[in-house]
Amino acid sequence: MSQETATVRATFPSLEWFQALKEIVNGQEAYRRIGTCDTTMGIKIPDLQKFYVVTFEAFEVAEVREATEDEVEDCDFWLEAPYARWKEMLENIKANGKADLQHTLNTLDLEDPEGFARSHDGLRRDAFYRFNQSLQFFFDASAAIETVFVQ
Amino acid sequence: MSQQAPEVPEELAALARERDFPLDLVRRALALGFAPAAIRAQILRGISPQQAEEFIVQQERLRAGEDVSVPDDVAQMARRRRWPRELIQRALRAGLRMEEVRAMLEAGLRFDQAERLIIIRERAQERQRESPEQRQRRQELAWMNVRTEWGVRVRPGKKGLTLGSLNVGSYGDVPDYWPYQTEMPRGAQHNPGAPSMGYTIYEKAELWADNAADLYEEAIQRQWKPATAIPWDEIEPLPEPQERALAQLCTYLCQNALVCSDVIGKWLKEMSYGYHEVKVYMATAGYDYARHFDVFRKRAYLNGIGMGRQSPGYYLRVIKDARRWTETSTVMFIFNNSFVMHLCQVGYYTAGSPGDALIFRLAMQDLARQTAYGVKHLQYFLMRKPECREEVHTYLQRAEALFAYEDDKDRTLAEALMVLLGGGLGQEELKRGWALLDYFRRRWLRDYLQRLAAAGVPERRERLFPYLRQWSPQPAAAR
Repeated sequence: MSQETATVRATFPSLEWFQALKEIVNGQEAYRRIGTCDTTMGIKIPDLQKFYVVTFEAFEVAEVREATEDEVEDCDFWLEAPYARWKEMLENIKANGKADLQHTLNTLDLEDPEGFARSHDGLRRDAFYRFNQSLQFFFDASAAIETVFVQ
Repeated sequence: MSQQAPEVPEELAALARERDFPLDLVRRALALGFAPAAIRAQILRGISPQQAEEFIVQQERLRAGEDVSVPDDVAQMARRRRWPRELIQRALRAGLRMEEVRAMLEAGLRFDQAERLIIIRERAQERQRESPEQRQRRQELAWMNVRTEWGVRVRPGKKGLTLGSLNVGSYGDVPDYWPYQTEMPRGAQHNPGAPSMGYTIYEKAELWADNAADLYEEAIQRQWKPATAIPWDEIEPLPEPQERALAQLCTYLCQNALVCSDVIGKWLKEMSYGYHEVKVYMATAGYDYARHFDVFRKRAYLNGIGMGRQSPGYYLRVIKDARRWTETSTVMFIFNNSFVMHLCQVGYYTAGSPGDALIFRLAMQDLARQTAYGVKHLQYFLMRKPECREEVHTYLQRAEALFAYEDDKDRTLAEALMVLLGGGLGQEELKRGWALLDYFRRRWLRDYLQRLAAAGVPERRERLFPYLRQWSPQPAAAR
């Protein structure tokens, strides 16, 4: 995926960063062409105690918001990794325009014995696989953000 | 009823007088719209004035919009035969007497059979009442007079006009039992002349999943085309041992997909049309498997290797031989798909290029969607038939046992995975491959058991077939 959107500057992790990502994704026809995506995805960065919820609905990212840890664990699934792992993934996306094979959501998930994608429900966790192409697009779109990392 | 008493034809009046049949009853019958010929036939059959009075009073009440009280024995028989409550009133409105309704029930007529008779009576009744103009229009445009629910409007939502959004009004009523044996779409008017199509699944609990309509839309929206979606030109060959191992994995996946595609085809014709959400979703699932066969066959050929060795397919026979759809669905969409998902995870993890990774990612999307049906169906089935819980364990036990036998007797697939995961044929590489295979199999077992727990079978963890327990604890690190 090539990113041609004007660069936005935002700090990761922050609500502004996720909102910028939402705007970028919703402006891309290529995202719609993947097909409908209906799921709620939590973002969990335990060492920073930062939590977000991203809601995907039909052909768009409907909402991003800051959340509590409980709210994140109530999503279909949540992505959980220490801050350094998130930073590594986003830097890799920025450097390559999209995640290379070592930094895709699937690879990060497969390498983590607990899983990068987690859920309390075996059916709802499968949304991570069902909509993986859309979810990867979402994070790959962060290549268009001039990300400032908090650490 | 008409306020003005209709004129009694002379011939009918003469017959009534001859048989001591009150002319007032004849007039009331005519006012209700019964044809003179029909009244004549009743008099000739010997209907008593008392019987005629009861019938006419009943008809007058029904025409006035009142319900007629149904004797307890008739109501009980109707419940036992799963007749909808309104069918009896409809039968009476169509001119059937309570005795005739009772006789239909005693004869064991199903709802659809009774309805056919009622429709015939309703049509006859309408024809008796219609004007010459109406008769001409009916003869020319009979299909315009069907008794379906008209006037229903649906609006497209964010996802367009979806299959699920059509389930409004009477069209949203998905019955627990589907009474029609024909290919009639739900909501259409039944054609009494349509022949039975030989379906065998008429009970909602046997195939329903609340997410079927949504999964259908998802499958249609997210479909992909192996010929063009994969950047085939950019997939460089892996070193030869891994390329051969990948071809062997692809051979296994082709065979598995073909079996699943066949099995869906076999069951589609068993599913009655009352549950079209499941039928159309299954059509997409069959297409998913055809696509998987296609894409994995292409990948096996891509870099000059081709197909590997056939799997003995012992446990696939469990899927093929299942005699109940719930068994098929549970074994195919939960047990088998969990296993195939783990094979795709190995394929993804060992991918040498984004193109290879994309093949496995897209295949996993389809498999996870099918699993979502399998889980929701099993959930629904057990909610409606909790007495079948042990039977479900029997399905799983058979699949797990035959999988264990196959895995133990034929090491082809496991060895190919070890070569892929280890990165070659050297001793150290095979050792690493063995360790990683163990890691991936633990993930597989964890995911399989979690899906079963979501379906309402959490106790499977304790009842797992012994051979599989070697992988049931928590997975160790992959790195």
